[in-house]
Amino acid sequence: MATPQITLTSSDGVDVTVERTVAERSVLIKNMLEDLGDSGEAIPIPNVNEAVLRKVIEWCEHHKNDPPTAGDEDDNRRKTSDIEEWDQKFMQVDQEMLFEIILAANYLDIKALLDVGCKTVANMIKGKSPEEIRKTFNIQNDFTPEEEDQIRRENEWAEE
Amino acid sequence: MEQKNQASHPPKDFVEATTEVGTPVTNAEANRTTPHDTKETTTTSETLTQLAKQNVAPFLAKYHPRQYAPFRSEDGTPSIPRAVNAGYCYRHQPDSKCSRQADEKSMRQLQQELETLPQDDQQGIAHVWSLFSAAPAKQRKLMLQGVLAQCCFPQLSFISASVRELIRIDYLTALPAELSFKILRYLDTASLCRAAQVSPRWRALADDDVVWHRMCEQHIRRKCNKCGWGLPLLDRKRLRESKREIELRATNWGNETQNQGLNPPADGAPNGTCSVVTLPKDNKRKIEDEHSCHQIKRHCVSPAYKPVADDDYYKTRYRPWKDVYRDRFEVGLNWKHRRCSVKVLRGHTDSVMCLQFEDNILMTGSYDATVKIWDMETGQELRTLRGHTAGVRCLQFDDTKLITGSLDRSIRVWNWRTGECLSKYNGHAEAVIALHFDSTLLASASVDRTVKIWNFKDKSTFILPHPEGVNAVKIDTSSRTVLTACDDGAARLWDLDTKTCIRVFNNHIGAVQQVIPLPREIELEHLGDCENDHVSTASNNGDAPVNILSPILEARSLHGQPSSFGSSFDQDEDRKEPPRYIITSGVDATIRLWETNTGRCLRTFFGHLEGIWALSADTLRIASGGMDRMVKIWDPRIPTCQETYEGHSAAVNCIGLSDSRFITGGDDYHVRIHDFRA
Repeated sequence: MATPQITLTSSDGVDVTVERTVAERSVLIKNMLEDLGDSGEAIPIPNVNEAVLRKVIEWCEHHKNDPPTAGDEDDNRRKTSDIEEWDQKFMQVDQEMLFEIILAANYLDIKALLDVGCKTVANMIKGKSPEEIRKTFNIQNDFTPEEEDQIRRENEWAEE
Repeated sequence: MEQKNQASHPPKDFVEATTEVGTPVTNAEANRTTPHDTKETTTTSETLTQLAKQNVAPFLAKYHPRQYAPFRSEDGTPSIPRAVNAGYCYRHQPDSKCSRQADEKSMRQLQQELETLPQDDQQGIAHVWSLFSAAPAKQRKLMLQGVLAQCCFPQLSFISASVRELIRIDYLTALPAELSFKILRYLDTASLCRAAQVSPRWRALADDDVVWHRMCEQHIRRKCNKCGWGLPLLDRKRLRESKREIELRATNWGNETQNQGLNPPADGAPNGTCSVVTLPKDNKRKIEDEHSCHQIKRHCVSPAYKPVADDDYYKTRYRPWKDVYRDRFEVGLNWKHRRCSVKVLRGHTDSVMCLQFEDNILMTGSYDATVKIWDMETGQELRTLRGHTAGVRCLQFDDTKLITGSLDRSIRVWNWRTGECLSKYNGHAEAVIALHFDSTLLASASVDRTVKIWNFKDKSTFILPHPEGVNAVKIDTSSRTVLTACDDGAARLWDLDTKTCIRVFNNHIGAVQQVIPLPREIELEHLGDCENDHVSTASNNGDAPVNILSPILEARSLHGQPSSFGSSFDQDEDRKEPPRYIITSGVDATIRLWETNTGRCLRTFFGHLEGIWALSADTLRIASGGMDRMVKIWDPRIPTCQETYEGHSAAVNCIGLSDSRFITGGDDYHVRIHDFRA
């Protein structure tokens, strides 16, 4: 039995065909299909370009059989930033792609992917000194030396 | 190349044109073109210029018709009406904050390098750049593909290395604030504090209440294994009350008007633009609001001390959550490193037998037949309540009343704010050893082998008979049960509806002195080295962390199976199960941890040398004191004693515990306050 397919059109005008169940990992698309019905017409995804869309679909494919995610409250209990191995590999992309994935996951409302994206960024921050963080993300240090010193002292308590 | 020749322009025009084209991408780029007056213009260079003009000019005119108005008429290319920034890919509009601009420094370097080349080459390269800079996203991609296709491996390697350096994005600045907060939520305390030092924008986000409210929330119910502290009750209450407000704040962050509306002006709400965010002083935050009535704890403070209390209250209400967190964090470290101040309160003239404290008020009962009320900060004795004709063995107070039990067999109710004794009950035939009240019920335990339950509402009483004298009693209103500790060596759990004993905890050798429930929120899932091995039956479902201690309670809530405590717990939806874990202490110098639904003793804590008279516990720790004059601090998850505190010169009779203090009363007539606040 053929699984129903739908077509998504990326921001740069490329049509991508995908299994409906896979696309429905996106709450946005799922709601759209539920509200409007599947007319067979391509669904425009105006905020996501082809490369990113394909990447997101790759993730959805792999996770299509995941159980539905629990409510947000669940986060409270395990805030661990552990990422499963496949997702870790999946997220080994340049910062721009990661940025786009996060934006796309947010726009398409794919919570689990958004979580993984944010965790990946968090892991890039973890354990680094302020200067290392600046280097990692190419951030200008806009503090004056006095400010910097004051802020460092304000935050000293966390360094056991 | 095969385009028809157009009317030629003097090179100067082109140079100016290039300057304009360069503008949208980088100003520096414009400066790198050839100087106007070339000293020796070779034929080659002229041809090159002309060639470039022929190709470049129409291209530029097409994509930048606005800048190239003069060309339009000349080259005859129909200009396509375009949106101003249509040349950029969707995310890289110049007005978008995440668009990447070449930085001045690297542009200057390029310029310098370019100037070392012969004139012709300079111009040629400048043309290529201009073309690229003028091109819209799609064309740029094609150009790049063409360039890449021609590259050899060393060049590709150069690109790959350069690109890695170049694609670095300041996520917290580029992403919407809500997503930035989501990222920050995955950070630990130290990383958050380092993130706050990165830049003003990072500081504003990483210091925000949204982040630290969440951090505090994670410590409400349990001891964090890493930092070892929890939130005090007052902050927990505020935490719950402000949850919605914080959620809104996360969504609307950066929107100034919203921020103003959601938070008191002095909330310390940092905005993304100011370079140094100064947190406003607490005393600016005196804003009256309806939540004040929720801060019940404050009512415990006597009217005479109201001004101080108000100040405290406002400080608490509007303190930045990061400060709240930091304080608790430091208290946790202080416990860990035994850093505390010790205060000794002297005033009683006989053994101190019972105590309780809330906020700044401490009450102690003594064999000298009095109750004393103390100001904990100053150590000052505020009031002495006299009336009992023999030693006071037990007491409990709330906002309005104090109830005491005595060796004189009576129970007295006091207005502790005035010192007036409101009533006296003679319901026991022997000394009253323990009492506990909650909402409308009072339970009193006596040497007369009974626990008496007093109902304030309908004035009814009934008795739970015991084989020997009763030393401790604890009501649990939500499950309508009561725990008792008896001289016969057993602790018991009673059903107040049926007035029957539904569980006996029988393992101590000799009298059980204390019995207390552990807070319901406590999580003891990972008692890996639990003494009882036969609990492993529950661990059968895969990777999920298995709650090895409470298969039955869990099962019931999930599958509606009958309660192990009897059918009366199933009939009433509102009736909770009794507390899952209880601890007891006895003259056998042990503390025992029990599981109520099975009645099993899960763990025995050894360490005291003699009988344990005093026992207290919260979600973080157990504190005990006894005949051996020692106070011991335990982690319910770990069987060995964490810390031992000495100081009393005689037996420790009673102990009170909070997240930042423990207070003991002893046979040496003294009260000792150990304070772990910074």
